[in-house]
Amino acid sequence: MSCGELERLFVSGAPESEARAHRAACADCGRLGADLDRCADTWSRLKAPVPGPSLREALLAIPSLTVTCPQADALIAARIEGEIADADERRLRNHFSRCAACAAAAETLETARGLSAPEPPAWLATRLAAARPPSRKPFWRSAFSGKMVVAYAYAAAVLVMVLGLNPTAVVRKAGFASLGESTRTVVLVAQSSIGDRLGAFQERAVRTLAVWKGHVGGYGRAAVSNAIAILWRPESKKTPVRPPLGKEGGAASLSLEIRLAGRDGAEPFPARFRV
Amino acid sequence: MSTSDEKDLVARCREGQDDAWRELVDRFGHKVYAIAYHFTLRREDAEELSQEIFLKLFENLHRYDGGFPLVAWILSVSRNLCIDRYRRRKREKSFRFVSDEAVTAMLPSDDDPANAALRKERTRMLFTALADVPEDLAEILILRDLNGLAYDEIGKALALPEGTVKSRLFRARAEVARRIRERHEGGGAPGAFASIAMAAAGLV
Repeated sequence: MSCGELERLFVSGAPESEARAHRAACADCGRLGADLDRCADTWSRLKAPVPGPSLREALLAIPSLTVTCPQADALIAARIEGEIADADERRLRNHFSRCAACAAAAETLETARGLSAPEPPAWLATRLAAARPPSRKPFWRSAFSGKMVVAYAYAAAVLVMVLGLNPTAVVRKAGFASLGESTRTVVLVAQSSIGDRLGAFQERAVRTLAVWKGHVGGYGRAAVSNAIAILWRPESKKTPVRPPLGKEGGAASLSLEIRLAGRDGAEPFPARFRV
Repeated sequence: MSTSDEKDLVARCREGQDDAWRELVDRFGHKVYAIAYHFTLRREDAEELSQEIFLKLFENLHRYDGGFPLVAWILSVSRNLCIDRYRRRKREKSFRFVSDEAVTAMLPSDDDPANAALRKERTRMLFTALADVPEDLAEILILRDLNGLAYDEIGKALALPEGTVKSRLFRARAEVARRIRERHEGGGAPGAFASIAMAAAGLV
């Protein structure tokens, strides 16, 4: 068993001569030192093992097999967008098999992307269909319905009349003369149709206005006479006073006059209650 | 090669320059293979381990900041891989059996057959004894005595103070020597083979 001095000298980096001196003085350390020398001699005679020729080629091919962590970051982003080449996908997978951090990062990002577009549960479509309000026609469809088109046509015709425009002149100014024969015929037919309709509309409008005028006149006259009657009403006759209950015997209604006194002796005020 | 040169080399590798990666492989390929071989003692395993080490090295190139020698950084990156392999081999029943083939790969050619056999047997005994040494001691002996790494490189690779490296190295050497001697002294009446082996180890 060594005394430990050899180890202390070795760790402290003492000169070899000091170790030799101690080995000469200490039997245990002398024997240990001799064993160490033999082992060291054997180790030192060994040569470094030489790899086979294929190893170098395999090591040189490594950059085509995997990626560094920063490269993996870029490829993970491309992979999420579905824009990764097959070769890069293989390199990335190879990298994930050894780099837990990058594999976890990719998994987290892909999970987060899945969260942004979750799959709806099967029952949701049924519930939504049940809760859907009755369908309405879009605004533009109701704005161009048959009734509305007729209304627009009348409005346009009225506008033309109000502005004092001649429809024929308007059509002519709009380039009617440059139209083809068939087109011109169609326009003429439409023009005559609109003219007929305008005539009918004008007739109805005049009749309606006449009725309204009669109504307004009648109501107006009635209102004026009522007002005069109210303002110029003759002086009303004196209403007879009914005698007190019991004096004439029998009454259709009971009238009581109660005099109430004010709280602090103020002038009492009458209050009449009809029962 | 200075640390700044090594940093530049790694930077060029990171940029994807093929010639830089080739230079890295040529400079450190043999050393990494030797370390891998001493941990595995099988050529196929050593080549596989070397590839794993370089794969990991490539993937972690961005971590090298030139703070210490590249070989120490390579060791620090690959240490767990080597230890994993060492433990895997240790679990095998044949762990303590060191084959002729494993030893021959480390022996220089010798014209004298008797001398070659002696040396082979001595080497086999050393590796067999090393198999019984705790792995935290064995790895330092492998790195220093078999691969010639400097104390500071080992210290940086294993994140140990230089004094601890030296202390463990001394204990590893002493353990190997003690086990060889114990095997000889406690073996009772050794057979002819054992006697030759002890003589070959220079311990009798």
